[in-house]
Amino acid sequence: MSSRTYRFLQVFILIALSLFLGIKILSSQLGLYIHQRFQPLTVIAIIGLFLMGVALLVDILRKTNAGSSDHAHDHQHSNRLPIEIAILSVPLLLGWMIPARPLGASAIDSKGVSATAPLAEQGAQAQTFEIAADERNILDWIRLFNSDQDSSLYLGQTAQVIGFVYHDPRLPDGQFLVSRFTLVCCAADAFAIGIPVAWPQAADLPPDTWVKVSGPVEETQINEQRLPLIRAESVEGVDPPANFYLYP
Amino acid sequence: MNFQDAQKRLSKPALIGLLLMINLLILTTILPASLWGWISDRLPVFTTIFLGIFIEAVPFLMLGTLASGVVEEFVSQESLKRLIPSGALTAPLTGALMGLFFPVCECGVVPLTRRLFSKGLPIPAGIAFLLAAPVLNPIVILSTAAAFGWGQVLFWRLGLSFSIALITGLVFSAEKDPANILRSGVQRSPIDLSSQAFSLDLHLHDHADHPEAHSNLSLIARLSRVLVTGANEFFEMGRYLVIGAALAAAMQTLVPQSALLSIGGGPVISVLIMLLLAVVLSICSTVDAFIALGFASSFSLGSILAFLVFGPMVDIKSILMYGRVFRPRAVLYLVLLPFLMSLLAGIAINYYLP
Repeated sequence: MSSRTYRFLQVFILIALSLFLGIKILSSQLGLYIHQRFQPLTVIAIIGLFLMGVALLVDILRKTNAGSSDHAHDHQHSNRLPIEIAILSVPLLLGWMIPARPLGASAIDSKGVSATAPLAEQGAQAQTFEIAADERNILDWIRLFNSDQDSSLYLGQTAQVIGFVYHDPRLPDGQFLVSRFTLVCCAADAFAIGIPVAWPQAADLPPDTWVKVSGPVEETQINEQRLPLIRAESVEGVDPPANFYLYP
Repeated sequence: MNFQDAQKRLSKPALIGLLLMINLLILTTILPASLWGWISDRLPVFTTIFLGIFIEAVPFLMLGTLASGVVEEFVSQESLKRLIPSGALTAPLTGALMGLFFPVCECGVVPLTRRLFSKGLPIPAGIAFLLAAPVLNPIVILSTAAAFGWGQVLFWRLGLSFSIALITGLVFSAEKDPANILRSGVQRSPIDLSSQAFSLDLHLHDHADHPEAHSNLSLIARLSRVLVTGANEFFEMGRYLVIGAALAAAMQTLVPQSALLSIGGGPVISVLIMLLLAVVLSICSTVDAFIALGFASSFSLGSILAFLVFGPMVDIKSILMYGRVFRPRAVLYLVLLPFLMSLLAGIAINYYLP
């Protein structure tokens, strides 16, 4: 690959990466990959990569005008392999070709699920109790159950939570797990949590369907682990929430 | 370049492409449909995790390569020599504390360290900088304090990172010849002008010779050179970020994290698990405190600290990037020494601290 072609490809990749990140923000898909609070950093990267691309382009054009007298730069890149370009285009290709999907049931299959996710185990702070029962999300409920608070304070209350359907093989027939992924920094640390739901037609629900479950909260045990269980009075399909993940 | 060369260069990618196509064709016919279902099921998961790591790390890598560009353009070998002592103890000591002035994480620190080496930074100082800077810098200190408060976790994290970086730097000072540690071309000896010839493969010589010679250029021109140097380095280090993120994402897609976590909590095993997790997760040091916070209740203090100390020094992507700067044996030391010291420290804390 000639030095010039190589450098033009560099410019192309830098600008493309910058645009790729910009489009992810504009189409509000960035939240699929990283925590919202890191968005300013992504903006910095967009600007930086774009400036690098422009500076490189100006550099190439200036060198072309000046003729090929710049020996130092000629030998500098002539033996570079296209593999470098190929590797850096992988994120772009995957980003364009694989449809962007939030982590869901198939991610649980590979990452595992826990009703006592480490993040949930920090126990309930006082404010978890201040949230009205029907406003608590899945994480709030699990925190309550892992706290050492008197369980009579919340058992029997009516829960109303949104999550996606996961059929956990450990659950008996007529139950499914209403689940969410929690995310601290990026999709790499996402961890699935879930609450078992007793619902006679559980088997009819396709995995990954987003549902709103409401019903009284009971206590159950899996492998001697105390867990909440929602005896569902209604399970209705809903649109996925704007924030795919829960942020502990 | 003669005609035969050109033909060779053109045909190689074409040949690889053809082979890949044939393999894909064979695979589609041989593999059972269930496996294809599995792949199409897991590929989006892999992609999301991969892009998660990549998008999160790209700003930090870019800032690191820009910092390297700034050093290249504005710091001369002479001023570096004036600022950094070269004593056996003072060099690594200075290196370990330099992070306080260069807020870089473990992606950005590698290109910056390499650039400093090319400006004549002593090896022990560079090693201590490489290992300590991702933790001993203002951003990470603040994020750790935000997660754990201004308490013992922060204290131990800073203290252990500093000590391990210092000790490793001292170990490296036993080797007097940089050529045995660095890949050829990383360090340009100021006396040996002929080193131009062998630094070709690393392209570090481009503007490095005499930054003062360029000081008559306009500021805009110099800044644009910073950007160009940064861009070239972004490509060189960026591929290791891509490969490292892909490996970490693949491991997460194939090995359930909950399996790792369920192995448990003994004072020794928990430290080993968290060390392994630090390598596998490959999270940036600026945010890993928040991740560790999540494990704090189910894992021992020693193992959490091992995670916080070892993770920023060694993970999949940084090992790959080290390979670009150091000889294989030096990379081995850079991985093993921090690993063993973090392991020992973690176990000791579990036994001696309540």
